[in-house]
Amino acid sequence: MRQVLEGSHAISEAARLARVQVVSGYPITPQTHIIEALSQHCADGTLAARFIPVESEHSAMSAVIGAAATGVRAFTATSSHGLALMHEMLHWAAAARLPIVMGEVNRALGPGWNIWMDQSDSLAQRDTGWIQLYCEDAQDALDTTLIGFRLAEAVNLPVMVIIDAFYISHTYEPVDVPEQAAVDRFLPPPNPRFRLDPADPKSLYPMVGPPAFMEMRRSLQDAMEVAEAALAQAAAAFKTEFGRSCPPIEADGCEDAEIVLVTTGSITSTARLVVEDLRARGERVGLCKLKLFRPFPAEGIRRVLGRAPRVAVIDRNVSFGVGGIFAQEIRSALCSLERRPPVFSYIVGLGGRDVPPETIAEIYRSTREAAAPDPESRWVGLNPELMGAAAR
Amino acid sequence: MSQALNTDRGLTYPGNVGCPGCGANIAVNHALRALGEKTILVIPACCYAIVSGPYPQTALKVPILHSAFACSAVTASGVRAGLDMQGDTETTVVAWAGDGGTFDIGLQSLSGAAERGDDIIFVCYDNEAYMNTGVQRSSSTPYGSRTTTTPGQGWKKTRKKNIMEIMAAHRVAYAATANIAYPDDFMRKFARAREARGATRFIHVFASCPTGWGVASGHAIKIARLATRTSVFPLYEIENGTDYTLNAGGDLPVGDYLTVQGRFKHLAPEDLALVQAEVDRDMALIQEKVAATQVRRAFFKSA
Amino acid sequence: MSAWSRPPLLFPVSHTTTEANRTGAWRFARPVFRPKTAPCAAACPAGIDIARVEMFAARGRLHEAWQTIARENPLPAVCGRVCFHPCEAACNRAQLDAPIAINALERYLGDAALAAGTPLASFDAPDLGRKVAIAGAGPAGLAAACFLARLGVSVEIFEAAAEPGGVLRWGIPAYRLPKAVLAREIERILALGVGLHCNRAVDQAFLAEAAGRFDAVIIGVGFSAPVRLHIPGEDRVADGLDFLRRVQTGQTEAPRGEVAVIGGGNTAIDVARTLLRLGARPVIVYRRRRRDMPAFIHEIAAAEAEGVRIETLLAPVGVAADAGGVRLTLQPMRPDQPGGDGRVRAVPAGQAPTVRHFAAVFSGIGAEVGAFWHRPADEAETLRLSHCALRLGQHPIAYVGDPVTPANSVADAIGSGKQAALALHTLFTEGPRAVARALQDCRVGPGPAVSLEIYQGAERAGRASRTVAFADINTDYFPVAARRHPSALPPGRAAATFDETLEALAPGEALAEAGRCFNCGVCNDCDNCRIFCPDQTVQAVRDGRRIDLDYCKGCGVCTVECPRAVLEMEEESA
Ligand SMILES: Cc1ncc(C[n+]2csc(CCOP(=O)(O)OP(=O)(O)O)c2C)c(N)n1
Ligand code: SF4
Ligand SMILES: [Mg+2]
Repeated sequence: MRQVLEGSHAISEAARLARVQVVSGYPITPQTHIIEALSQHCADGTLAARFIPVESEHSAMSAVIGAAATGVRAFTATSSHGLALMHEMLHWAAAARLPIVMGEVNRALGPGWNIWMDQSDSLAQRDTGWIQLYCEDAQDALDTTLIGFRLAEAVNLPVMVIIDAFYISHTYEPVDVPEQAAVDRFLPPPNPRFRLDPADPKSLYPMVGPPAFMEMRRSLQDAMEVAEAALAQAAAAFKTEFGRSCPPIEADGCEDAEIVLVTTGSITSTARLVVEDLRARGERVGLCKLKLFRPFPAEGIRRVLGRAPRVAVIDRNVSFGVGGIFAQEIRSALCSLERRPPVFSYIVGLGGRDVPPETIAEIYRSTREAAAPDPESRWVGLNPELMGAAAR
Repeated sequence: MSQALNTDRGLTYPGNVGCPGCGANIAVNHALRALGEKTILVIPACCYAIVSGPYPQTALKVPILHSAFACSAVTASGVRAGLDMQGDTETTVVAWAGDGGTFDIGLQSLSGAAERGDDIIFVCYDNEAYMNTGVQRSSSTPYGSRTTTTPGQGWKKTRKKNIMEIMAAHRVAYAATANIAYPDDFMRKFARAREARGATRFIHVFASCPTGWGVASGHAIKIARLATRTSVFPLYEIENGTDYTLNAGGDLPVGDYLTVQGRFKHLAPEDLALVQAEVDRDMALIQEKVAATQVRRAFFKSA
Repeated sequence: MSAWSRPPLLFPVSHTTTEANRTGAWRFARPVFRPKTAPCAAACPAGIDIARVEMFAARGRLHEAWQTIARENPLPAVCGRVCFHPCEAACNRAQLDAPIAINALERYLGDAALAAGTPLASFDAPDLGRKVAIAGAGPAGLAAACFLARLGVSVEIFEAAAEPGGVLRWGIPAYRLPKAVLAREIERILALGVGLHCNRAVDQAFLAEAAGRFDAVIIGVGFSAPVRLHIPGEDRVADGLDFLRRVQTGQTEAPRGEVAVIGGGNTAIDVARTLLRLGARPVIVYRRRRRDMPAFIHEIAAAEAEGVRIETLLAPVGVAADAGGVRLTLQPMRPDQPGGDGRVRAVPAGQAPTVRHFAAVFSGIGAEVGAFWHRPADEAETLRLSHCALRLGQHPIAYVGDPVTPANSVADAIGSGKQAALALHTLFTEGPRAVARALQDCRVGPGPAVSLEIYQGAERAGRASRTVAFADINTDYFPVAARRHPSALPPGRAAATFDETLEALAPGEALAEAGRCFNCGVCNDCDNCRIFCPDQTVQAVRDGRRIDLDYCKGCGVCTVECPRAVLEMEEESA
């Protein structure tokens, strides 16, 4: 059924349809609508779940860890500082091998309080062992959340479903909301591989010394290594059930492109317009939308980008001292190739700065015109006046 | 033969890796006797997290969920929610934390669970310092104590945080102090907490640490008993945060307790007098509340 | 898209237990259950396992409590009244508040068993085919008979008087020991199959004849002759013991007015209090100080409360006839250096003697053997034990009771009879060379008393002979609690009747009093060791507790928390 939903509610609807049993939540803009909606569902009975209004995001993650350890489907959502505060528990959830799904709304971190779009929060958590899935719009958010549960439970890893602050979270779009029966077919009740059970008492997560720790981390890595295939399989099943596809990497016209633009999140939608326009003017430009960031789909990246003459990566994030994070990851994925496409790295839209089609068109232009990539990421749209003021 | 001991080894396996005479072990034994096998323990970082068995072992015949240091209470809340959603309202969910995991880093999470009234028993086994990391001070470390972060003349000059009052201020349904040296009282309180389902229950357990306190391992119980007999750790219960019942106070001077422990051995007579005055004042406050409770109860009965 | 399969899940979850950790290897010292001897038991001449008696009594297991007494002492109701209870003087609890009222509890249990008609345990020993004759049915002879019968020996007692009991029957007044109580406890001994022949005085001819009919003879005829004062006019002094005997047989007459009773022991007290009850005004005259009086303190106090006057440091030096009575000359004395027996001697104080008029003068200074053969001759083949002497040889004779016991008390007499019985049993079963050793091995701790239970190799035999000191007790478990006292007749009423002066403890009081007992050295299943073991290594097994040394870390908590010093730490040998 088609509904007009904001992106936050696309996620909360998906969690409701997934029949999550325990939800914890702590408010933080721009995530708050997700947990508000779920707490409403719990209150009005449209969702048979326990909502735990916790006292911090550290606790939010701890609560779903406790719940998931009993074998129920558990969900929470956060953003920015909240995600940072969870950091310890993100590691815990992943190494605990609990199939938790979390909605994460990308937002900048202070100081300089900033509630707007920026991917630095989620990307800072890339080494915690979570699967990270970036969404383009509300429909993508709903679909990815449903797939996320199936994926998490398939590989026993937690899944972060990531949307842009405001551009997705607070933007109303028509969304195809599936029927409950169809979701139930796609997502049967959880069948945990382990759980807390007084009838079969086990100690979960005791101390592990050097003789076994590495093997356990290797096991986590093994799960990550099959996660891409598992995601593809879940996406295929999703397509069968719902008719929409949701691939880890979406390539549009990349095979014969001169330049391939790589995007994540809502910038992809903007880029689609720009690409359409450029193609209409005869440019051979491709678009590569990256959904899956962890595990990093290196093989897919090589397949899609390996023969591209030039690649331009648009990063709405920065790893200080290095540059755009996606660009870095893509470069390292490509570096095993004999002929490595030059990767142009652009940093845009931090802290919610708008990224209009013109910015993307400019990125395309400068990629086409440059002799070779800059040694460092190029920051697009800096205000020279402000930069000059800082110099004075 | 004690009635409580119907099974030979209760719900623990031997071979745990606690120090000889570890009071935390004694506390677990007492507690599980009262709680029974339908219990799940959530254990944050602390000595007992290690004592209860490193991978691939467990020392308990009930499930354990190890949590991070700060979050045992809410992790227990999550477990409770998960069980409830599966229709298991029978299993008792217990957070079992040290004083660090209760008074300090765990306080926020505990406060949250208590305010929500989550259906868990939170147990603080209090050995009055961070023992697992090698005896550093916590906010439960008492006045006068030496630890590795209050060494030498820098022995702790501030008093121990009153966690019971903090919990009373949350109006938790049931809060009690318990001492490993008083097993009957101890087990009664755990049984009572187990029965008081549907609300947050808090038990503050005095669990000696021979290693950290500088007492002989064989004196683990003796020293714990002295804590109550000197009123340093009176045994009492608080219902709904307002109704106080005193189970055991003391008749001995605090010196009897302090001077036999390495951690206090530097204290001068003036220091002992100071501690005595503080203990007397605390005890008087409890007694006032007990008396007020009785007056109030009599009034409502007559009304 | 490539197919994938789920990789194995390796994460931190237990799949085994800590039982793999043999933490016992950490241990420097191990706890051992080593039950010990209570000081009261070591002090009891009858060797009663008092700590265990009180343990049973405190739990209301009165039958077992009584059986525990009766195994070592077949006269609990009697001893519960007349014993001078050295056990209480040795009681560790005295150092905390007050000793356990062991004597009153013994009476309580004794009376309960009489009321229930409980027989003495016979222990079903096989018949040894041996016969022993016993001369004298006093406490020593009766005890010897009881223990021999329990060991499968047939016994016949020959008693000169018309009824059995000896000093218990004739010497101790009824207000201390009602005769019905005595009769019923004697009956119970006879019920073990003991033959009794009264009015059969044993003389040397009998001994000669018995040598052929019996495998051994026991002589336990006690002190039957009064001790002489050796003063002028002694024939005017009445024999106190004879007076007590006549009162037992029905005499109710006594002189009117002031009557002097000479002596400071229990006989003097008994004579004085009996005189009082018959209407006289008795005055005890004693040559040393009051604190030197050998009588029991509580007896002295009771006598005084009833109205007996006591005058000390006065020695009788002459008796003469006087109108309506006698004239007694008394020499004032003063204390001097202790004599050879360690007691302070009294010597004339230098003042002139005084002459006093009395309606009569009684001697109450005790008795001695009636004939030379009542005590053993110094022969090479005589084996002297603490409480009896044994003439080995072809016709063995055992001497028991007053002439061979260190203190002339009922409890010593019972211990004496038991010692002789065990000695003869060893003699019969293992021969003369085994006797000394066997008796040594069944001693109760360091004390002289022997125990049938130890002799039979039962539970008590495993107990260490070391006694428990007060310092060994963990007094954390024993809050100060007042000792329970039996109620007594008011002295005014008591002095007017031969009714028993002391009543029994009330049932609740008795249990509470037994509950005060530390049970020194005896496990009473308090289970502290199990409750407090941090490592749960103490297990309950049949007949006690076992420590799993695979896991015991040797922390010592169990030992410190054992209230009664049953557990002790023993260093591991390297
Ligand atoms: C977030 C965090 N900070 C610090 C630690 C290190 N740490 C582990 S246990 C512990 C002390 C525990 O003290 P307490 O809770 O009193 O338990 P005890 O060991 O004394 O029984 C500390 C500081 C940790 N595990 N996690
Ligand atoms: S350090 Fe203290 S609390 Fe920790 S195991 Fe040792 S005795 Fe127990
Ligand atoms: Mg601590």
